Formats: sequence, C-alpha cells, structure tokens
Amino acid sequence: MSAAQTNGGGGVILRLEDVHTYYGAIHALKGISLDVREGEIVTLIGANGAGKSTTLRSINGLNHPRRGRIVFQGRDITNEPPHEVVKMGISQSPEGRKLFPRMTVRENLEMGAFQRRDRANFKEDVDRVYSLFPRLAERRNQNAGTMSGGEQQMCAIGRALMARPKLLLLDEPSMGLAPIFVEKIFEIVREINEQGTPILLVEQNALMALDAAERGYVMETGRIALADDAHALRQNEQVRKAYLGET
Amino acid sequence: MNRRRPGFVSALGLALVVLLVIWLVGNFVNSPSEFVNVLFIGLNYGAVYGLVALGYTIIYGILQLINFAHGDVFALSGLVSWTLLVSWLGITEDSAMLVTVAGILITLVVAMAFFAAVNAGIEFVAYRRLRSAPRLAALITAVGVSFIVQNVALAIYDVDFRSATGLIPRTDIFVAGGVSYQWNKLFVLLVTVPVLILLTWFVRATRQGKAMRATAQDRDAAAMMGINVNRTISISFALAGALAASAGLLYLLSFNMRYDTGFELGLIAFTAAVLGGIGNLTGALLGAFTIGLIQAFNEGLTWYTPGSDWTRSIVFGILIAILVFRPEGLLGERTPEGA
Repeated sequence: MSAAQTNGGGGVILRLEDVHTYYGAIHALKGISLDVREGEIVTLIGANGAGKSTTLRSINGLNHPRRGRIVFQGRDITNEPPHEVVKMGISQSPEGRKLFPRMTVRENLEMGAFQRRDRANFKEDVDRVYSLFPRLAERRNQNAGTMSGGEQQMCAIGRALMARPKLLLLDEPSMGLAPIFVEKIFEIVREINEQGTPILLVEQNALMALDAAERGYVMETGRIALADDAHALRQNEQVRKAYLGET
Repeated sequence: MNRRRPGFVSALGLALVVLLVIWLVGNFVNSPSEFVNVLFIGLNYGAVYGLVALGYTIIYGILQLINFAHGDVFALSGLVSWTLLVSWLGITEDSAMLVTVAGILITLVVAMAFFAAVNAGIEFVAYRRLRSAPRLAALITAVGVSFIVQNVALAIYDVDFRSATGLIPRTDIFVAGGVSYQWNKLFVLLVTVPVLILLTWFVRATRQGKAMRATAQDRDAAAMMGINVNRTISISFALAGALAASAGLLYLLSFNMRYDTGFELGLIAFTAAVLGGIGNLTGALLGAFTIGLIQAFNEGLTWYTPGSDWTRSIVFGILIAILVFRPEGLLGERTPEGA
C-alpha cells in the first residue's frame, strides 16, 4: 500500500457536514457527515432507499441540500450547479449507467470531456480509456444503447474518467452485471485508484465494495449508521448479518 | 418489433396505400406536366411546414413539451418581417432586384436573431420554473403563451392580412413540355436548403449541438458531464425561434398572413412532427414534405381529386392512419410513453 493510500495519510478532499437533502417533501438525508481523503477508496453501503444515491446527487449538484455544507478541496460547493461541480473536478458514473443511447461509444466519451478545454490531451485520454477497457475500443462506433449491460458500465466509467476527475463518484457499478463482469469492474476500479484518483463508491454488493475500499460508511434511512475501516466493517456482526448475507 | 395487428385493419391500411398509389399514378399518366408542376408547389409547402415542424420537434426532444405557442411565434415573426421589409426598408415590387434581395436577406437575419431572443425569453419566463412540475402544467402554460403571442400580434397588426407576395417575381426560370418553374418557387428552396444545412452542421458537429443531443437523450446525465443544461435549453429555444422566423418570412413572401395564421399552420407543422416521429429532426422534415405534397396534390391535381375542401380531412386522416400502424411516427423511436 502506497503512502497516499494509508488511512489518514492523505488530506481530506471532500467533506460533507450535517447534510440534509429533500426529495420533494421527503426528508431523504437526515444529517450526513463523511470524508473522502486523497488516494483512497471510500465505500457507501446500505439497503435500497437508504439515501446512497441521494448523497451523490447532493455532492454533484443535482439535488442541493437544504442544510449542511459540502466542501471540496477547501471550496464550499454546497449550492454549485452540476456543471460547475464537474469543472472543479468531480465526475460521476451514475446508477443505471445513463449513457447517451443514440450516441456512439466515442461520442459518449467525448461528452465526458465536455467541460475540459484542453482538447490536445483528448486523444491521449481516449486511448487510456480504451486500454483500460479494450472492449470499448472494438465498439467505438457502435451506439451505446445497443451494447450489453457490462459494456455499458465500462463505457459509463470510461466516460467519467474522460473528465480527468480529482474525485470519482461511482454509483452501483456492479448493478445488474454477470459475476464475471462484476469481478472485472472491481479490478478496474482498483486500477483507477492506484493511478491516483480517489473514489467514492456506492454499492449494494457490500462484500466486493468492502474488499476494494479502505474505509466504509453504512447508511440506514438517511443517516450514517456506522463508519469504520473497511476491514473492521467486514468483521462487524451487524454488517455481516444485514449486508453480507451471513447468519 | 413483432406487433400483430388484426388482419382487417392491416388489409384496410394496405387498401388505402394501394388506392393512394393508383391515384398518384393515374394522375401522372393523365397529365405528367401538371403532376410535376403540382409537385413543385408541394415542395414549397413542405419547406415552410418543415421549418416550423423542426421547432416543435427540437423542443419536444429536449423538454418533452409540446410548445403550442410555436405556431403563433411563427405568425408574429412573419408580421414583424413585413414591418421590417415593407414599412422600414420600403421594399416594393418596383425596387431593383439587388435591393430587393438585400432587403430580404437583411430582414431574414434580423428576424431570425430577434425571434431567437423572443423564443428563448418565452422559455425563461414561462417554462423554466415548471421544468420539474407535472407535465400538464407546462402544457397548459404553452397554450396560455400561445394566446398571449397571438393577441400581441392582434394588438399590433389588427385583423388585416399582410403580404409581400409580389416581391419575388413569378417569372419562369424554365419551361419544358408544359412543366415550368418560377423564381418565387426557387427562392423558397434557396433559403430553406442553406438553413437546413446550417442546422444539421450545428447539431452534429458543434459543441453546443452535441450538448443539445446529449441533453435531449438524458438531461441528468448531461448535467453530470458538465453541460450547462439551462443554457442548452435556451439555445434550443433560440434555434426553434430562428427557424420559425425564417418560415415566417418565406410564408409572407408567398401568402397572405395575419395574427391567427399560426394557429392552423402550427397544428399542421405539429402534425408533421408527430408524423415523422416527434423528437427526430429528419422525421419532422419527412413529415412536413409528406403533408406538403399531399396538400399540393389534393389541391392541384384534377383526375379524381377530392379538392381543397378535403385537404384538412385527408391530412389528418393520414395522420390517424399512420399512427394506428406506427404510433411512434415514421422515423420515431419507441419510448415508454410513446409506444
């Protein structure tokens, strides 16, 4: 494990302080506080509807909190619109992939780099994504909507990487994928992290997520129920029962 | 893909198509030159309908909103073009050709820019706040904006018809075996074709155009890519407004128009957009030219032709027939709400 990845070694890059977010009238996040540090993978696990995706929507500006603060690299981004958040260096691979179905794989990757002005490095980054996901290179001129679920997930992660993020948000990257693809996706998530990008990983597959992450937060109905080292969470009786399917 | 229709309905549909083909071939054989002349007229109807239909389809594609005000924006733009061209620039039938052409081009550019701003303003004032409201709220608002725009036109221009039909000469460019083609017909295409080429380039190749396509396909994902969704929607409305203004000027140069011209023409253009598959740009043009040609054939042909009293019934009858067989329109994609 490199120095940057040791717990507490890196500085805090993202901090949520007592974030309350509403979905219409529903009080979806009831005071979330969490940190992501340089170089680490942090996972957010919990049951459906616990507020994991809402947490990400609060960070990326799609659903602004009513109370609390979100600080990224020392800047308050609580009320920034999504396109400004992306410009500052947070990009996301959303739940359900949300590719542009009637654009080709290459055009999808291009959209991922939309906010960047340095066109010169564009080619280099496309090649980096293709080397992470050789399958995408084969499908570059195919409409994204016509690919398999696993390929679409690769494309969604590749698209998020095109922004050269300083922080990568991954929402349910393993959802709906065959086991072999799940392995592959987690391998690549680790690889991306080893290349230096901190990752906030939202997952239902708690076992895989805790294996990949340094630290984890367990969410329950809009609150953080547990926060600990990933290893400790794996040993935790409650977590084992509720999320790891053990008795 | 495999949707089975009751045999009876399929047979009926097939019979209609066969009837249509027999009628067209019959007319062609009966008088080829008349057929071709009428076809030229149909192309011009189609061009004007198409420019307006594109506005409906662009806005629907990006907001899933039927912008009922669009037809009225078209009519108002034609009337404002009249003010610019006839009142302010003072172009008449007696103006020198170069002066006339320059005047029309200036009017075209100014009107397109002005109505781009007007249409973007309508979105900002009337629709933006309703973006996350139930869809019906925005729809009713669009009907309201339609009345407002129409009544603004009525207040400024009263109930009188305006036209500038004499400005482009109706002299023949060529006559061959009963087929003739006039300058005023060519002029419509001379404006429409470059506008369509520019639009295609904009949507396919430019950064903003790609942002439009991305926003239309998935608005949240577009925002996550760093696309400024509000600005993209403003630009889409501006584009629709500019297209409507180009259609308004072309209409003014060919027909009489007044404050309520946009109501019927808007409905026909909307029909064209639905016929082609709403949200699909090529589809809107295909639908518009289909309707334009049907209208011209029905009004201009002579062999067993119902005549102009039946045009609307036929146009909307065909709409119903096509939607029975392809609810998503000719080129539309099947979507959860459209299927």
